Amino acid sequence: MGEVIVVTSGKGGVGKTTSTANMGTGLAAMGYKVALIDTDIGLRNLDVVLGLENRIVFDIVDVVNGNCRLRQALIKDKRFDGLHLLPAAQTKDKTAVTPDQMRDLCAELKNEFDYVIIDCPAGIEQGFRNAIAGAEKAVVVTTPEVSAVRDADRIIGLLEAAELREPKLIINRLRPKMVKQGDMMGIDDIIDILAVDLLGIIPEDEMIVITTNRGEAVVLDQHSRSGQAYRNIVRRILGEEVPIINLDESTGFFKKIKKIIGLG
Amino acid sequence: MANSYSVSGFGQDMAADLDDLVDEKTILVQRTLRSGQSIYYDGNVVILGDVNPGAEVTAKGNVIVMGSLRGVVHAGAGGDENAVVMAFHLQPTQLRIANHITRPPDNETVEADYPEMARIKGGVVTIEFFQTAGERQGKNI
Amino acid sequence: MLEFITKLFGRDNGSKNVAKERLRLVLVHDRASISPQMLESLKLDLIQVISNYMIIDEANLEVNLDSSGSTVALVANIPVKGMKRNAGDA
Repeated sequence: MGEVIVVTSGKGGVGKTTSTANMGTGLAAMGYKVALIDTDIGLRNLDVVLGLENRIVFDIVDVVNGNCRLRQALIKDKRFDGLHLLPAAQTKDKTAVTPDQMRDLCAELKNEFDYVIIDCPAGIEQGFRNAIAGAEKAVVVTTPEVSAVRDADRIIGLLEAAELREPKLIINRLRPKMVKQGDMMGIDDIIDILAVDLLGIIPEDEMIVITTNRGEAVVLDQHSRSGQAYRNIVRRILGEEVPIINLDESTGFFKKIKKIIGLG
Repeated sequence: MANSYSVSGFGQDMAADLDDLVDEKTILVQRTLRSGQSIYYDGNVVILGDVNPGAEVTAKGNVIVMGSLRGVVHAGAGGDENAVVMAFHLQPTQLRIANHITRPPDNETVEADYPEMARIKGGVVTIEFFQTAGERQGKNI
Repeated sequence: MLEFITKLFGRDNGSKNVAKERLRLVLVHDRASISPQMLESLKLDLIQVISNYMIIDEANLEVNLDSSGSTVALVANIPVKGMKRNAGDA
């Protein structure tokens, strides 16, 4: 029996889809059977991020309406046989699926997959309610910005109200240099405010843009820091204890000087 | 196909060529279809504009795009294997004719800057350079 | 030059502290304004407690969250009609 995880954020553009794609790809790379569900009906993107956009024949709306069987709508990934995508419909809207239908869908997928990861749309309306309906665990993605953290707080409240307790947090697009300079909220600042457990930190990284452009997942890139960060997240999902690398810890030259002249 | 159709001006009356399309069911769409927009029509569809990625055109007949076709297109949606898809720039996300589904090959981008036409030939969807009338005549003479 | 050096060594109060403070304030509001029911039950509790000491005009009692500058305050406007004689004895 698999586990159903929803990836959500409230605010748009903080990295829900990228995180969903990378967690899914990472888990599949370790041999697990993973189903990714894009619930952003009308604004689907997970297919493009995974590079599977030209294989879509049926989508989630076709499945819930009985136009096709679930198996027919699942698209197999290019690289990993264990990774499948259930795409959103692009030409419908969020009301084309109901929370009850999502619950049934997740229950069905859970029987067959080790992990079912749901990419939630931005916002707190029906799309959000659909996405969380069948989920058992939640991952909240935020960036170190006032707006994103505020929305994350709201989402955490809504998740708790929906009995999805103890959501885990991913802080995306962290820029260690700016944190060091005191111009960006750091890990501690954000955790302090949101009071949730941390699942991982993703540094701002050009490789994310580059891999996304190609329809690939950065988690497979052995050389980038963001790839390493996503691999660590995958291991934490699997229950391993992986220490959080505190990227904003000031180390190196300046800290040493500071210590010498007594400013630190 | 209807056959109450004739062409004249060739010096003699000519019966309708079976290859000619004789069907009154055609709509003309005079705008660009953007992501999330879709058209379904029980006949032919002619689009004066582009079909962007994420848009869908489904027609029981032929689809002609006077612009770039980058979205999903389905011609002969009722099962008509003679249906064709034509576009000035044919770069669909996915192209379907009747029950055939094709997509561009991975890791390969061929950008043709001339009109192309897709149709089923010998059971497979083939894409070929669409010769305009002038060029065709030029070659024949 | 001094400014440059202080910035270099990170002693300057960067914009993150501003961000954090603003966020704190906003969240107090966001979290507090979630349920008017909570405010209502707070009001009832206040009436109960204060009634032990004074006679108050329950109908015109107001309880609200208010912010001034960087602080958030719970502002209660409670009209007092009179004191209870044995206040504090009970």
